[in-house]
Formats: sequence, C-alpha cells, structure tokens
Amino acid sequence: MKNRGFSGRPIGRREALGMIAAGTTLAPSLAEAFVSAPYFATQETMGALPPVAARLPDVPRVIDLAAMGRTPGQCGGTLRMVIGGQRDVRYMPILGYARLLAYTPELELVPDLLRDWEVEGDRIFTLHLRPGHRWSDGHPFTAEDFRYCWEDVIGHPDLGGMPPEMLLDGRGPSFEILDDVTVRYSWHAPLPEFPARLAEPVPLRLFLPAHYLKAFHARYTPMPRLEQLAKHWRVDDWSSLHQKVSRSSRPENPDLPTLEPWRPRTSPPSEQFVFERNAYFHRVDSAGVQLPYIDRFELDVSSYDILPAKVATGESDLQATGLEFSDYTLVKEAEARFPIKVALWTRSQGSRVALMPNLNCLDPVWNALWRDVTVRRALSLAIDRDEINQVLFFGLATPSQNTILPESVLYQPHYASAWANHDPDQANALLDRTLLGLRHRDGFRRMPDGKMAGLMIETAGESSLQTDVLEMIRDHFRAVGLAVWTRNSQRELFRSRALAGMTVMSVWNGLDNALPTPEMPPYELAPTAEDQLNWPRWGAHYVSQGRQGIAPDMPEALMLLRLLDRWRGSTSQDERTEIWHQMLALHADQVFSIGTINAVPQPVVRSARLRNLPETGLIGYVPTSILGVYMPDTFWLDDTDGKEG
Amino acid sequence: MTAPTDTPMQPGPLPAPGAAPGHFVSPDPFDPEAEAPGLAGSLGTAVGGQASQLRIMWIKFRRHRLALISAVFLIVMYATLLITEFLAPYRLEDHDYTAIYAPPQQVHLFHDGSFVGPFVYGQSVTLDMVRLKRVYADDRSDVQKIRFFCHGAPYRMLGLIPGDLHLLCPAEGGRFNLLGTDRLGRDILSRILYAARVSLTIGLLGTFVAFSLGILIGGIAGYRGGWFDVAMQRTIEVIQSIPSIPLWMALAAIIPLTWSPIFVYLGITVILGMLDWTGQARAVRSKLFSLREEDYVLAAELMGARPRRIIWRHLLPGFMSHLIASASLSVPGMILGETALTFLGLGLRPPITSWGILLTEARGINIIALYPWLLWPMVPVVLVILAFNFFGDGLRDAADPLR
Repeated sequence: MKNRGFSGRPIGRREALGMIAAGTTLAPSLAEAFVSAPYFATQETMGALPPVAARLPDVPRVIDLAAMGRTPGQCGGTLRMVIGGQRDVRYMPILGYARLLAYTPELELVPDLLRDWEVEGDRIFTLHLRPGHRWSDGHPFTAEDFRYCWEDVIGHPDLGGMPPEMLLDGRGPSFEILDDVTVRYSWHAPLPEFPARLAEPVPLRLFLPAHYLKAFHARYTPMPRLEQLAKHWRVDDWSSLHQKVSRSSRPENPDLPTLEPWRPRTSPPSEQFVFERNAYFHRVDSAGVQLPYIDRFELDVSSYDILPAKVATGESDLQATGLEFSDYTLVKEAEARFPIKVALWTRSQGSRVALMPNLNCLDPVWNALWRDVTVRRALSLAIDRDEINQVLFFGLATPSQNTILPESVLYQPHYASAWANHDPDQANALLDRTLLGLRHRDGFRRMPDGKMAGLMIETAGESSLQTDVLEMIRDHFRAVGLAVWTRNSQRELFRSRALAGMTVMSVWNGLDNALPTPEMPPYELAPTAEDQLNWPRWGAHYVSQGRQGIAPDMPEALMLLRLLDRWRGSTSQDERTEIWHQMLALHADQVFSIGTINAVPQPVVRSARLRNLPETGLIGYVPTSILGVYMPDTFWLDDTDGKEG
Repeated sequence: MTAPTDTPMQPGPLPAPGAAPGHFVSPDPFDPEAEAPGLAGSLGTAVGGQASQLRIMWIKFRRHRLALISAVFLIVMYATLLITEFLAPYRLEDHDYTAIYAPPQQVHLFHDGSFVGPFVYGQSVTLDMVRLKRVYADDRSDVQKIRFFCHGAPYRMLGLIPGDLHLLCPAEGGRFNLLGTDRLGRDILSRILYAARVSLTIGLLGTFVAFSLGILIGGIAGYRGGWFDVAMQRTIEVIQSIPSIPLWMALAAIIPLTWSPIFVYLGITVILGMLDWTGQARAVRSKLFSLREEDYVLAAELMGARPRRIIWRHLLPGFMSHLIASASLSVPGMILGETALTFLGLGLRPPITSWGILLTEARGINIIALYPWLLWPMVPVVLVILAFNFFGDGLRDAADPLR
C-alpha cells in the first residue's frame, strides 16, 4: 500500500506490551511500524500534526481482524448515513463505541480505552489508563480528567451531583488517584453493575476533557468571562453552559475533545453533520494501521418518513437505524439499481410488540383484574403468535413470551414458551374462573359492574406494526369474549397517561436488553423505571426513592425488587446467574407483560463496497450499541470496484 | 381601439362624429311574455309567469351543466351510504391473511375465446423469500365467476336490518378484490365504501352545526346590532385568533376514551362544526348590515312588514347565494379537518373507518413504490371535493337574484 512508510520507529517494548495487554498476538511479520492514514499526510508534512507514533498511546489497542474473521482494510473514504432529525447525531458516539470497558460481539467485557482494570471483591475498581493516550486535540488523557469529573462536576453543587448508578445505599464511592494513569473507585459494599455501566451505549460518565472544560467552570474561570461565554452559547447560566459544551452523548460541540473514532466537525443547526477521523484514536489493526479506516461520516438530516426512500435511492452507505422490516422489500429491490446491499439482522429485544397490562391503573375493576395472574395468563394464551409471525414477518421471527433470546447464556426454553402457546379453549376456561366469568349471549364477557368487557389498548401510534398486531389481537381476544379498542396518542401524552394510571393496557417494545449476561444488572425485570408501562407508578416510586408514585404492594413485584437488591449486592457469578434465573422464571410464570414475537429481522443496509460489516448479527440499543460492538472503526471501503464482498 | 363602425352588434352604422344621432325603433312587435335577453330556455317564461323562487333557482341551476352533473354524482354518493352493506362485497371487519397486499383483480368476460360473463381468475400466492414479498399470479385455469345479488356474509344494514344480500360476491370459495387488498388482506373497495359513510356524513353534519350556529348568531348580531353584536364580534375574533389544530386537539382530548366510536364520531362532528361557525356568522352579519340599508327593505318597512317577514322574504334570499357557496366549500374542509384530527390520533379510531384513516394508512414510500392500489381512496376524496365545489358554484349562481 502506498501510504506505508510514514512514522518509522522500530517495534519496541511499548508495542510488545500493547500486544500482550490487548490480549492478542501479532504475526511476526507485522507491525514493524505504525501507519497513519493518508488523510493526515499534508498536515503531517506541514508539521501541524505529530507523526502517528506520537499520536497513539504507548500501548494502543490492537485489533486482530483475522481472529475476528475480517480482512485488514485500507484507510480512506466517506460513509453517508441518513438520520431522522438533528437529535440523531447522538447515534455517532453509540456507533463509535469507544468506552473504558467495551463488549466484544460475543458480549465479553474487555478494556478498550483502559489498558487494564482490576476488581477487588466487586467493590474496589482500579482503572489503568493507557500512558500516552491523547484527546482528539492532542492533549494527554490522564487521571486529571477523572479528577475533574469527580471533584469539579459530580462533586459540584451546581452541576448535577452523583449519578444514581453510582449510589449504593445512598452513598457514593470514594475516589483516589494512584498515579497519573491510574484511578480507583471504591464502594463500602459490592457494586457489581459498575463495569457494565461503563460499557453502555450512553456510559456512566467518569471522565471529561478537563483542559478544555476548565474554561467553562466557575472554579477555574472568573464569572464575568463565564457570563460572556454563556451569552455567546445562548444559555442562562454557567452550569447550563458547562452542561451544553460538555455533552458528549450528543456531539454538537465540535470543539469538545473526544476519544471516539470520529470527531464532530459541525455544530447545529445544519442539514448535514460531518464527522472526521480522530487523529489520536487509540486502536490499530494488526498491521499497525491506525483505525478507523473510514475518514469521514456524513450524516444527512432527513425525516423518518422519507428516510426509507433515501436509503432506497442509494443515499446511505451504512444504515441500521430508521428502517423497519416492512421497508426491506423496497430496499431489496433497490439493490438492482444502486450499489447497496441489504441484509437481515436480528433485533435483540425481548419482544418486538408487547402488551403491557397496567398493574397500577386507577380503574378499580381493571386493577383488580390485572392483579389476578389468571387473567394475564389467559390473555397470553389467547394470542395466536404464529399467525402474527406469518402475516407480518413471513415466519422469520420467533413466537415468544417477552423474555431473553436463545443467544443469551441465561436462556431457557420455558422462559419463552410459558403461556405462549395459542390455546383459546384454555384461555376461556381460565377467564371463566375470574371476575370476567359471565359471558353474554352476544359473545362478549361482562365486567363485574355489568358493562361489556373491553380493553382500551393505547399506543404511541409511532409504528404501523403495533397497530397491525393490535388488529390481529382484536380477533384473538374476541374469541375469548373480550372487545378491544385502540387509541393512539402522541408519545409524551401516552407516557404521562400511563404514569398517571389512566391507561388500562398499552403497547410497547418488550425488554430492551434480551441478551443479558449474568454481569448485566437486571433492572429491566423489576419495577425500577417510570417508562415500564406495566408498572409505571411503582417505577416512579423506585426512581424518586419514594417521593413520587406508589409503593409496590404486590408480593411478586416486591420479590423482584428484593432479587434486584440481592443482585446489586452479589459477589459471585453463580449467585448472579441464579438471581437472573429466578427473576426470569418469575416473569415467565407471572406474565407481567405479554410478549408476541421476538428475534425480529431488522434490515441493515450498506454500500456494496463496504467491508467487514458482518453479514448478519444481533442488533439493538443495549447491549450491542446498535453496531458499536461490531466496531465500525474496522469497516472500510473497497475501491477495487469489486461488486461483491 | 377599434373603430366604432367595426362593431357588428349595432343595429346600424353609427352616425358620423358630430352629427345628431338618428332615432331607432325596432320594427319587431313587443311581447312582454317573451324571453328576457340573456336568459335562455324556459327561464323567461317562468319569470313572466311569476314562478316561485325555488323554481327559478332550479331553472337557473339546470343551465350549469357541471353543477348538475356534480349534484347527480353527490346524490348517488349519498344514496349509496344507505346501502353500503349491500354494495360492498366484504364486510368492514373481514380480512383474509392469505391475500395480503393482493393487487387489484382484473374483471374478464371471455375465457379461452368463449363468453363466460364477468369473472376473475383465481390468484396463487407465493412468498418471495428473497425480496420478502408476496407475489400473486393469475391462475388461468381457475375461473371465478362473479355472482350478482348473491347471499354472502350476513350483516345488519345500518346496524339495524339483518340481511345477507350483496350486489357482488366472489365465487364460492374464491376471492374478488376489484381494487386490491391492504396489509391485513382487507378489501380496499369495501373499505372505501364503508369509509364514505363516515367521511361524507361528517362533512354534512359538521357543516350543518356550523351553519345553524352561524346563521343564528350572525343573524341576530346583524339585524339587532348593539351590545350583542359587539360581544359576538369580540368572541369571534378571540376564537379565530386561536390556531385551529391545537384547538381541535384540546377539544378532541376532552372526548372521553371510553366513549363508543359512534359517540366519538358525533363528538368530532360537533367539534368541527363548533369551530367553523365564526366565518359564517361574520358573513351573515355583514351581509345583513348592507342589505338592511337597501331601498326595498325600507319600502317593506314602510309598508308595515314585520322583522320576521323582512328577514325571511327580503333579506335571506339576498345572501342565500353566499351562504350556499360557503356551505358547499366548507364540506370538503370538514372532510379534511377530520383527516387531520385522525392523523393526530385524536379523531376517529378503528373500527370506524374514514377516508382519512385509509389515506393515513397509505402514506409512506413503501406503499407508493410497491402497493400503489392503496392510494385508491384518493379518487373518491378528490371527486367528492371537486363535485362539492362545482355544485356550490352552480347553486350560488342559481340562488343569486341579481344574476
């Protein structure tokens, strides 16, 4: 390759160390030197950028592409992507997926930004940074960045305070700097979820670019200057200013140094957002070529309505978001006209469409009915999941309860199959034993108060898939004597209605993370968040530590919370596995939410020239960070006009 | 400027400039019963014969061909609403999961060169697992004769009269989707017919509500004037200053979730009507203001006519034309308003089906590219809105006594 020959230090102790630390071995012929991208050639010769060896950490993370079944690529090229709105620039740091700890595609937790990490009793976490690691502006990334985040942001009364994820029994950790590249967080008791929090799509924030942000902080910059800056950034006070310039989950500030593979070059408002390769990115391939391979990302701001049309006219080189299964046919037909390829991946959700009986609903009759597990089981049995699968997914999805996928190490078949077979007779028999036992001659059951038994199922009306599934479930429920009405409302309204207990039943996705390992915290299985539509007020109670919502009073829900607490204090893998199984079994038995189908195919579109994107895989927000764990920094564009890849 | 002598319409050449004009008297006999110039046909006789106001309107209306055709079209459309169950081959809730996104079937008359009568070929469906598309192919050996006046799926006409007679039925065990099917295998033609029931009546009922309010409030304000007029004007200004969509949304949100869809439908009608009366009331008021200063009104007052007679006999005919025109124009506005509300999730909801709902479902690039027959509901919407506009135009001309 013509771009070899920059830099020029022979392989030394640092590189060898790096290879060991990254857990890979290099073929002996490789890595004589590090290689920079031609993109920076001019800047390097003009002296605007130091040579690549000086830009990389002393111990870069070496990605062994061959071991991953991928091919080493060449640097260069631009990938175009279509986003549904300006806010969707937030997908870039999710795709980039540079984290202190990161998941591999096999969902093992490995150090990424970190050189190494140590755990003592799941309580004391020592993080070793990579010496020589630099921010995208060339400034060293050191323990000072952790100290700034800990003391000056988390510890500052005006700037947010302790993230709830770091609190254990209401107490945060103690923070120590051991040396310039080593920091330690220690809690008084085990907090096993801490490592998983660092690998999330939007990770727990432990570090910030101190050298840049000090100019926006009241402890380092005089107030008049801050007021001037706040005016310039059009915010009210310095704390909003700090929040705005430091926001890395939505990279809207091109000046904010980053550690991601691509750094933003555009500030909103804009019709197009450009990201450019980070000259100081810490990963190299086994030939020593600094990643990422792709020079630039161009995010074209569009709307979700016309996004499929744009993709189908070849305006995207990599598209995993904004496409639905029903768009597949359109994009597949476009393969013949445009140089794109579309593949079907598998969505990692517990259920693509799940019915959520609101256990906190204000209607006393329905509240009593939902508390009766027989009703929930009967409704689950009434659904013909095979029909939904055949009609809407060509039989490519999997009929299942709302639970984890077979790819998860925790999977057991009965979690998916419990009460998930289609058995209207048994459903009728079960319902006959409940408060809905009375059936009128018009075929519909009667509520205890004599009204026709009907369910108002609410949706946020965002996908026609939900409406279609509901349309089919309407027939299924009619066969067991229940009428179904649907109501669409706008998402915020929908959420607030559920939280107020005004919904009887709603429709949403199932579990977000259906690929858990025992190390991932099982929050989703217990009432811990307001947006859990089957128990939103219990969730609010948990989140607000009792100030809002209502305290759970159902023994099964309390059991889930107790199990979650046990997990949070657990110290061994076996204990965690056992707790996960208990919680999953409880869900399977109690049918807190009614799943329909999962493992739904998801179209992923790529340019025909794009290499190293797996042909298929599991895709979701957590834990795969959309495509993040598949390392988009290793994707590359083949210029050789090869039609097939 | 053309020379005056070029004008062929003149009875004779104009006199030379400066010369005294000659005196022209037509030698034809004068017949006061004859047609008035400019009015063709029987209108002159009718006027001469002192025909009633309505009859004059009808005669003038008949002369507007397009309006007449539109009127007939609208009458037919509204008449079908009474017998939708009979006309539609399928019921609203019928779906066929074996015929999802089936394209429109062509009606044939001849099979293998011999006449069979109207029939469709049966379609076989294969799943194209590469493109993930259902592919339908005509099975040339499977002749499915369309049955007429047949006994099919049982229904209750208008929800009351039980029956099972249909105008058209598919062959026994067959399928007949003249306009294709949608993503759940529902017949588009049947859905359009059922949706017409909602869309067409919501326009009429909404307009009726708006007009009752508009004429009543505008009439009182216009004729009486005074404090009532001032109060109403300010109220109208306030109502008109609120953007319509958020106001619709607020009102629609009041409709309780537990109402049955039919009450929701009536509620939406009232909401649409309640917000549309302001323009109408203003028009009525200003027309009344100007007309009540006319000499003929003064004459009527001097002759001792009571206000009621003056309003009904002298004023109302004077601005009826305007009312009718805006009434006919606001019907399509109501139909579109219903669509907007439905689109926001605050309007009608299944199982009620309106053209708005059908069109909302047909959005998206997928539909246009792959299943264009789902856009059929556009045709009746466009036709009905056009027809209402032509019809209103014709009525306005006919009802205007000054034309």
